[in-house]
Amino acid sequence: MRVALASGHGGLAPAQWPDCTIPCHLGVLPAGLDAAVSAEMDSRNNRMIDLALGQDGFADAIRELQKHLDPGRLGLVMGTSTSSIDRTELGYRSLDAEDRFTPPFIQPRVHSPHAPGDFVAELLDIDGPCMTVSAACASSAKVFATAKRWLDQDLVDAVVVGGADSLCLSVIYGFHSLQLVSPDPCRPFSPDRTGISLGEAAGFALLTRTDTGNGIRLSGAGESCDAYHMSSAHPEGLGARLSIERALKDAGLGSTDIDYVNLHGTGTRANDEIEGKVCAMFSNSRTVLSATKGWTGHTLGAAGIVEAVITMDALCTGLLPGTMNTLFSEAPFHLLLENLQRPTRHALSNSFGFGGNNCSLVFSAA
Amino acid sequence: MIIRLTGIGIWTRDLTHFSTLLANTAIDPQADYLIPAPAAIPARERRRAGHFISLAVEVAHQACDMAAVDKTTIPSIFTSALADTEISDYMCRKLSQNEKLISPTQFHNSVHNAASGYWSISAENRAPSTFVAGFDRSFGAGLLEAASQVIAFDTPVLLVGYDLATRSPFQEMLPIDVPLGVALVLAPEHHAVSNTAMLDIRMNIVPKTGRSQSTRTGGHPMQSGLDLAHQSAQLQRGSRSVGTLAIDTPRSGHLWIELSRRIGA
Repeated sequence: MRVALASGHGGLAPAQWPDCTIPCHLGVLPAGLDAAVSAEMDSRNNRMIDLALGQDGFADAIRELQKHLDPGRLGLVMGTSTSSIDRTELGYRSLDAEDRFTPPFIQPRVHSPHAPGDFVAELLDIDGPCMTVSAACASSAKVFATAKRWLDQDLVDAVVVGGADSLCLSVIYGFHSLQLVSPDPCRPFSPDRTGISLGEAAGFALLTRTDTGNGIRLSGAGESCDAYHMSSAHPEGLGARLSIERALKDAGLGSTDIDYVNLHGTGTRANDEIEGKVCAMFSNSRTVLSATKGWTGHTLGAAGIVEAVITMDALCTGLLPGTMNTLFSEAPFHLLLENLQRPTRHALSNSFGFGGNNCSLVFSAA
Repeated sequence: MIIRLTGIGIWTRDLTHFSTLLANTAIDPQADYLIPAPAAIPARERRRAGHFISLAVEVAHQACDMAAVDKTTIPSIFTSALADTEISDYMCRKLSQNEKLISPTQFHNSVHNAASGYWSISAENRAPSTFVAGFDRSFGAGLLEAASQVIAFDTPVLLVGYDLATRSPFQEMLPIDVPLGVALVLAPEHHAVSNTAMLDIRMNIVPKTGRSQSTRTGGHPMQSGLDLAHQSAQLQRGSRSVGTLAIDTPRSGHLWIELSRRIGA
């Protein structure tokens, strides 16, 4: 991802998805999902998890850590929106005469919201507290908030957090039913934006109580509800504002301390307008903001971890990604259109989801 | 973690309120096991709320009413083994057909935090709210998260565990015979309980890793919530002085729980 961001390579392409006739662009994983995981746990989502755990030596780093840790002191919080519903959808195409799944779809642990947490705990042999958070598009941002509480309360010494959402017909046809899917690659915060582009992703991070050497701190987390509507954000962004304010308060920072904001920025007319109003609080000479769903697509339950990783990497490399596909904007703050190289100390990431569920995270360089 | 249990909501077959357990009276006979949408949900949302959402919102309000907590500020945790199998069934059947036309309402209700959304609207609540899952050990996962939030936020917290009865093909994945929803209001140890509170139980929750203590195999994934409610009712009636439960958490751990009546309560 670091290479793709630096070299300007986005992941959206015209949709070529089995049985999908909706004209749209998708961020589909290019390769590596052909190998089945165990028959008991096989699904597209779990294959993607398997692939992601092998990236950048993550699984090896966890195994190394486990040599020095009481097994019960390593926790796991996974985030997902769709879990393995991709597999359930497939299973429904071949139900038997009594409406039962047929082999190989008889997979109790797969057809459940907890499938990602269950699978990762098994792969990494994690024995401490373990659960799966499912709060729509805020899911894998909220995993950081839960993990932070566990660490603060000394329930664990380290927590693997992650998120995974694979593409499936449920989300493509579901967002289409709400008339939110753009025919073009999404253009967050562009005045002529036409909706979202969907994507799929899995990502992970390891949180420990003490610095392990990379110098990045989760300095604040804020969560809230809109209490307004299931699929429309509060018109004044009341919930979004609360989650940002709670995250800043938790971090002991003000809006002018933030160098970079990774916006939720889905590319729908209403959502960007509302987030724009709220993020006018970052209209100052220091803060730059961008939305990265033009690079990745909206990866739904994985968007939180994807954008947390982008935000954390900005602290490491100083590369602040631009808002791909957006040529100009009337947003009331400094929206980055092109990549910018600039040392960054404090950065915030927003994730807002259906059900009016919001989460904001603040990461800081030590 | 020592916390207080100050409110319980419950809805299942022949038991539609905790007061029935507390009074140790006969069952609440019902003609239909599928719960109607609670009146607490505003009309616009009420007609869109299915059985799964209604079950959660009903017990959430029951528990908060009993604990006399401020519904607008209490953080909430929702937990379920299979989530809304009625909607999963609807979506997957539609998507297996050629036309694939699905209802936008059913789609936005298909997110696992849908009940949290309806609850927050019905209570005008903008506090943090989440949905956590741990398959057949979801109640333990939810209780751990709830206890952790009580400590972190130092306020009362609402936990709602709920699952519908399953039908094929989910029935073969996890057989669940009846809908069951259990809600708990958990509070910090020092939290002052309103005079109107009917329940005040001290809970000592000790997370344990290693082999599970529970001997429970199969059964309803929210059974441990029901067990907790039964023990609480017995304690409150004074028929026993202390209760213990082992509630399984996902993977290999469990929560060891000791219940006792608060002195002077």
